Order: sequence, then structure tokens, then C-alpha cells
Amino acid sequence: MTTSGLEAVFLAHRAALQRFLRARGAGDLAEDLLQELWIRASAGASGPIAEPLAYLYRTANNLMIDRRRSGLRSAARDQEWSDSTGGAMAGISDAPSGERVLIAREALAAAEAALAALGERTEYAFRRFRIEGASQKQIADELGISLSAVEKHLQKAYRTLIDLRRQWDAD
Amino acid sequence: MPVRHDQIYDEAIDWVVRLRDAGPDGWEAFTAWLEADPAHAAAYEEAALADQDWGELAPPPRRIAPDHVSPVPPFFGAPAPAPSRHGLTRRRWLGGAIAASLIGLVGYGTLAPDRSVYAVETGAGERRSVALADGSRIDLNGSTRLRLDRDAPRFARLEQGEALFTVVHDDRRPFEVEVAGTRLRDMGTVFNVVSDRGSLEVGVAEGAVLYDPDGEAVNLTRGMTLRRDSGGRAQLSNREPEAVAGWRDGRLVYASATVGQVAADLSRNLGVTVATTPVVERQPFTGVIILDPQPQSTIDRAAGLLGVEADRSDEGWILKSGAGETR
Repeated sequence: MTTSGLEAVFLAHRAALQRFLRARGAGDLAEDLLQELWIRASAGASGPIAEPLAYLYRTANNLMIDRRRSGLRSAARDQEWSDSTGGAMAGISDAPSGERVLIAREALAAAEAALAALGERTEYAFRRFRIEGASQKQIADELGISLSAVEKHLQKAYRTLIDLRRQWDAD
Repeated sequence: MPVRHDQIYDEAIDWVVRLRDAGPDGWEAFTAWLEADPAHAAAYEEAALADQDWGELAPPPRRIAPDHVSPVPPFFGAPAPAPSRHGLTRRRWLGGAIAASLIGLVGYGTLAPDRSVYAVETGAGERRSVALADGSRIDLNGSTRLRLDRDAPRFARLEQGEALFTVVHDDRRPFEVEVAGTRLRDMGTVFNVVSDRGSLEVGVAEGAVLYDPDGEAVNLTRGMTLRRDSGGRAQLSNREPEAVAGWRDGRLVYASATVGQVAADLSRNLGVTVATTPVVERQPFTGVIILDPQPQSTIDRAAGLLGVEADRSDEGWILKSGAGETR
């Protein structure tokens, strides 16, 4: 997809993307953020993009996550939590993000331990899904379980990690 | 703070999971869900931040996989990388125990999540420039095939052809290129890599590159070129640093090259086949060839400089000895 192709998709779906940004918490800034979204999306479009509209949504979503994160950081509450100077953008998607997240070693160690305590199937399902990018279908096949069972494992792992994050935030 | 096992949180987690591979419909449904209740956005945000934060956790240890799990197939049919490659592509914080468990992962290539892997290719005579998110840039010459991974943004695999890497250096996360079974690690760099049927040539225009960091660990500095034939013998030579990236500006600059190398470069740059006879293939050449959009005129001019004759054939051109005439 060329930049002009991407731009055409962007222009055709401006309203939907703006609605998404607003629903995601952009409020009155949605219009301005649309501009920022385009800058990011076009700058990050280095390779072929299979689904340009999904890519634009993902970029918009990352934009909101990054804004939230820098908001937290400027509140100084997030200082220890993340470090904007290094590390990879966690690989949740191919959409560009200006923020880089690097979690403190101890936080990771705690998360590793908490995950391990959930049982090996939950741990396996989560790591395959989140770290290696496997699909739920793949994981279901690998473990010989149903898709809904995979969902339950992922739910359990995510809940644990959200709780853990709250604890770290509270400290 | 909301109740922990709140319905909303379950839904928010579901969205984090589903949106990873969602198409436009999924995102529209997600928008509707967010709009349905103001509490939804906050719950999703928390789940999304957690999801992003924990992206650096270790991959699963293979050994706990259940009985009937078949081994993970190697990617791209490539030979299994040495286990140590894993240690480098994974985050540094990996403890010894986790690193040890990775040894079971031989064959599971550095480009693990295949979903995020994509190829950038150029046809014969075509050029393309790829800008990476970190500000690095890769210029692809013609007939080149490169693999990139959105989840491993500091890694590229050159499968065939020629690429010029202009890398934004980061000591903590060096950029690595896998090519012809070897790895190259940037040390603050502009470098050019050519790979053709197993052969390899690395030239450094700026900074330095570490060739085969886990093996021979040859440090290539500005102006140095390493050439390795498909037999595995490596040779170092010096070149004008400006010559390394010359092709991008339409100049091919040579010092003590051979006519065979020039012919290969002409083929790639012009998008035509330029072969040589065995007699002229090893003939030395020092000089500059200016690329012209017209293959015929470039080859005519090059043939004059090389002291060879260029014959047009169905296949393209063949460079041969000029009937005893040398310039």
C-alpha cells in the first residue's frame, strides 16, 4: 500500500476514526488527534499494509495509550514504572508508537512468578499469545483444548497481570 | 477502584485479546462498546496498559507443551539458527534459567510471530526505500528481498540482493542483519550488504559493523569491505567510504574489483542480465561507472572502461574478451 493509498482510506474513514478517538477518551481533542494519527500512520507505513483501515484504528489506539502513559508519567506516578528512553514498543501491534516501554526488572520478575503460579497451561497460553503472537486457534490446537478454554486461560492471566500492575502502581 | 472480577473488566480483557488481530468490523464493534458506557473506556485503558507493559515477559518454555504438540516448524525453511541467536534477540533481562530453556527452541527463528513478519521486495532494476519506526532507513537495490518483523524492529534478514542500511544506533539495542547464514551487528552505522546465492559482501560507509558477533567477531570500520564467497572464505579490503553507498547516487565505485563483480552489480542495478565469460571474469578493475537509465548506454560505457566487449544476446549482455584489444 502506498502512502497515497493509505491516505485515501484515511480520508474515507475520517469520521469513524474521529468517533473512535472520542469514544477512546479524546473528547474535544479528537479533531486535533486525527491529524496526529495521520502523521504517525503515514510515518510508520514502511511495509505493505494488508488491512489499512485496521492499521489506522490500531495506530489511533496506540496514540491514545501513549497519551495516557505520558499523562501518567507527567503525574510522576509512573516514573518507576516505565522508562521512555529505551526498550521496544511492546509488540502488541504493528502500528507505530512513539512511546517505548521498559518495565523494571523486578516488576518483570514478579510478573514471571505470578504467571507461573497460575498453572502451566494458563502460563503457556498467555506466553504463546502475548509474547510470541500465536493465534487463539493455534494455542487451542497445541493444547488440545477448545477456543473458549483458551479465552479463559487468557482472561485469568490478564486479570492477574492487571492486578499486579495495580499493586506496583500503588507502591 | 472497580471490583476486580467485574464484568466490565472481563469484557475489557476480551477486547485487548480480540483487537490484536481485529479487522475494521472488530474496531467498529469496539467503538460501539466504548460508547455504551463511560466506564468501559477506563477499564479498557487499564487492561491495554497492562498488556503493553507485560510485552517483555519470557516466551513459553517449550518443554511444558503437552504430549501431542508437534515441534514448531522452522521459519521460511531456513536452517535452524544457533541457540545463542535467541539470547540476543530476546530482551537482555532474560535470566539464565529462561535463557537455558530457550535452547529447546532451536528452529524457532528469530522472527517468531510470523503474523508480524513481512517481506519487502524489489524487482529487477527497481529501487525502494524503507523507513523504520526508529528513524533507521533501508535502501533496497534491484532484485532484492528483505524480511522485516514488526515485533522485532531492530532486526532484518537480507535473503537476496543488495541493501544499504542507515541505522539509528542504540547501544542497548543494536540493529542486526541476518544474511547468508551470518549475522552483522551495527555499531553506529551506514553499511551496505550484498548477498547473491550464498556469497556476501559488507561495506561500511560510516561507523562500524561487527561481522559474526558470536563467532569470528570481525570489527569492520569505515571504508572496510568484507567479501565472502559461497565457499566461506572471507577477505577484507579497503574502499573509499563514499563508494560503499555509491549505487544509490547512480555511481558504482571500484578499487581492485573484478569484472565479475562489476557484471553482478550492473545486473542488479539495471535490472538486466549481464554475464561474463570465464576469461574476463577475474580481470581486475579500478574505476567508476556511472549508471544511466538506459542499460545499453551504461553497458557500452562500462565495457569501454572494463576493456571488454559487450555482446547483446537473448538473455541480456555478455562481457567477453575484446579480441586481444585492451584499453
